[in-house]
Formats: sequence, C-alpha cells, structure tokens
Amino acid sequence: MNDTDVSKQIQQMVRFIRQEAEEKANEISVSAEEEFNIEKLQLVEAEKKKIRQEYERKQKQVEVRKKIEYSMQLNASRIKVLQAQDDVVNSMKEAAAKELLKVSEDHHDYRKLLKNLVVQSLLRLKEPAVLLRCREDDVHHLEHVLDSAKEEYAEKANVHAPEIIIDTNIYLPPGPHHHHLFSFHHHNEHGPFCAGGIVMASRDGKIVCENTLDARLEVVFRKKLPEIRKQLCSQITA
Amino acid sequence: MDNRQGGIQQLLAAEQEAQQIVNTARNEKMARLRQAKEEAQKEIAAYRSQIELDFQKKLAQSSGDSGANVKRLEQETEIKIENLKTEAARVSHDVVSMLLKQVTTAQAAAK
Repeated sequence: MNDTDVSKQIQQMVRFIRQEAEEKANEISVSAEEEFNIEKLQLVEAEKKKIRQEYERKQKQVEVRKKIEYSMQLNASRIKVLQAQDDVVNSMKEAAAKELLKVSEDHHDYRKLLKNLVVQSLLRLKEPAVLLRCREDDVHHLEHVLDSAKEEYAEKANVHAPEIIIDTNIYLPPGPHHHHLFSFHHHNEHGPFCAGGIVMASRDGKIVCENTLDARLEVVFRKKLPEIRKQLCSQITA
Repeated sequence: MDNRQGGIQQLLAAEQEAQQIVNTARNEKMARLRQAKEEAQKEIAAYRSQIELDFQKKLAQSSGDSGANVKRLEQETEIKIENLKTEAARVSHDVVSMLLKQVTTAQAAAK
C-alpha cells in the first residue's frame, strides 16, 4: 500500500470512529429526553394524586364540622322552643294559682267546697277516726259543715259516721294577704302560704290525704299538661 | 515510518474525541434527569397553590352559607316562639278556668 492509501484508510477510520461516537451520543440524547419526560410525568402525577387526596380529606373534615355545627344550632333552637313552651305553660299555672287565692273569698261556695273536700278525703282514707288540718281562718267554716260531711260519707260508704278532730295545734299556713297585713314586705309573698282546702290523716298519722287547693292544682296541672301542650303545639307546628 | 506514527496518533486522538463526545452526552443526560426533578417540583408547587386557592374560595363561600343558615334558623325559632306566646295568650284564660274548675269540683264518689 502506498502512503496515500494508508492515509485515506486512516481518515476513513477516524471518520468512522467519530460517526459511531456521534450516533451513540445521539442515542443517549434521545433516551435522555424520553426518560426526562417519563420521570417528570411520574413525579408530577404521583404528587398531584397525593395533593388531591389531602384536600379531599380536608374538605370532608370541613363538611363534618359544618354538619356538627348545624346540628348543634338546631338543638339549641329546639331547646329554646321547648323552654319557651315550658315558660308559657308554667305562667298559666301561676295565673291559676293566683286565681285560686280568690276562691276562699266567696264564703258560701268555699264552704260547700270544703265540705266536698272533707267527704272526698274521708272516702279516700276510709278510716273511722281522722285528723283534719286546715287554715286557722277556715276553722269556723269547717265547724259548720263537719256534721253534714260526716253524714254524707257515712251514707255513701255505708259505715258509721267517723270521728273527725280538727288539729288546733298546727294550722296550715294562712292565705297570702295575711302576710301583706302583718309584714312590710311587698305583696309578693315569699313565705309558705295556703290557698285553702284541707289535709286529712288517719289517727295514727300514717295515711295522709292532701286536699289543699294548692295540692289539687298541682295534681290537675300535671294531669292536664299533655292536653295543654298539645293545644299549644298544634298551632306552632302547623 | 512517520506516517504510521502519525496515523496511530490520529486514531488515538479520534478515540479520545469519541470518548469525550459520548461522555458529554452522558453528562447532559444526567443534567436533563436532574432537570426533570426540578421542573416536576415547580409544577407540583404550582398545582398545590392552585388547589389551595380553590379550597379557600370554597371555604369562604360555605361559611357565608352557614352564616345565612344560622340566621334563618334563628328567625324561624323567633317566629315559633312568637306564635307560641300568641297562642298561649289566646288560650290562657280558658286553661286557667279549666284548671280552677277541676280544683274546685270535688267528686266525692264512693270507691
């Protein structure tokens, strides 16, 4: 081979080496782009998913909190309404209690009432001897009606007339206007008072029948409460 | 003799150059992959801010709604209570009369 041939061959080899290197560099470059895209996409998608889940959780928490708050407010307002119902119903009872105080002012009717209360109590106790307690002011009323009461009871229960002793040691507290006279307090009585009626006990004191007007009001009120509530509620839920 | 030496030098130089070309490509590849991480972080951060923004907007809106709900509830409650009081005033007299009648009527029946 001559020098020019050798030199030509060498040039060819040099070119070849360079070409191979550049092809390889190209391959590397192309794969670099591919891997770049894949890597970036994977990273972004993975994190995006996590972020979405995180915020979904946050959103749920917010909603749960809202529900709880709303339900608390609903409860609070329900309680408010129930409380208002209670207040309204109790003021009716208080109005009734106030009216009750006037009952003993009509002596004629009050006397009749006392007699009926005595008979009713006797029928409840069914005792041959009883103790009767009343307000000091009512003693004279009772003394007038006691005999006819005993007779009525004896007839209705088919027994002998019972023995009734009025307790003169202990009286039921007086009506509130007494407080008004003897104390200088304002007319709102704060001591115990009694609107009238009687308390009857068996002679040994073991069985007691409370037939004061106040006690009767309590009993009637409790009995009629569902009815009263229904009457009120039918309006407000309509 | 000189040519042969020269030739071999050329080939060696070519090999070295070839190696450099490939190494450069490899280094660029590594740099590109690092870029992938950096760009991914940026995109992720931008995504997060957007989501956060949307979340806050939704939050503000819903708290406005709850405020309105609370007010509505309060108003409804007030109306219920007012109606109750009106109704009570209307029936109070009758209820009191009914209670008094029951108290002052002693049914004395034999059991």
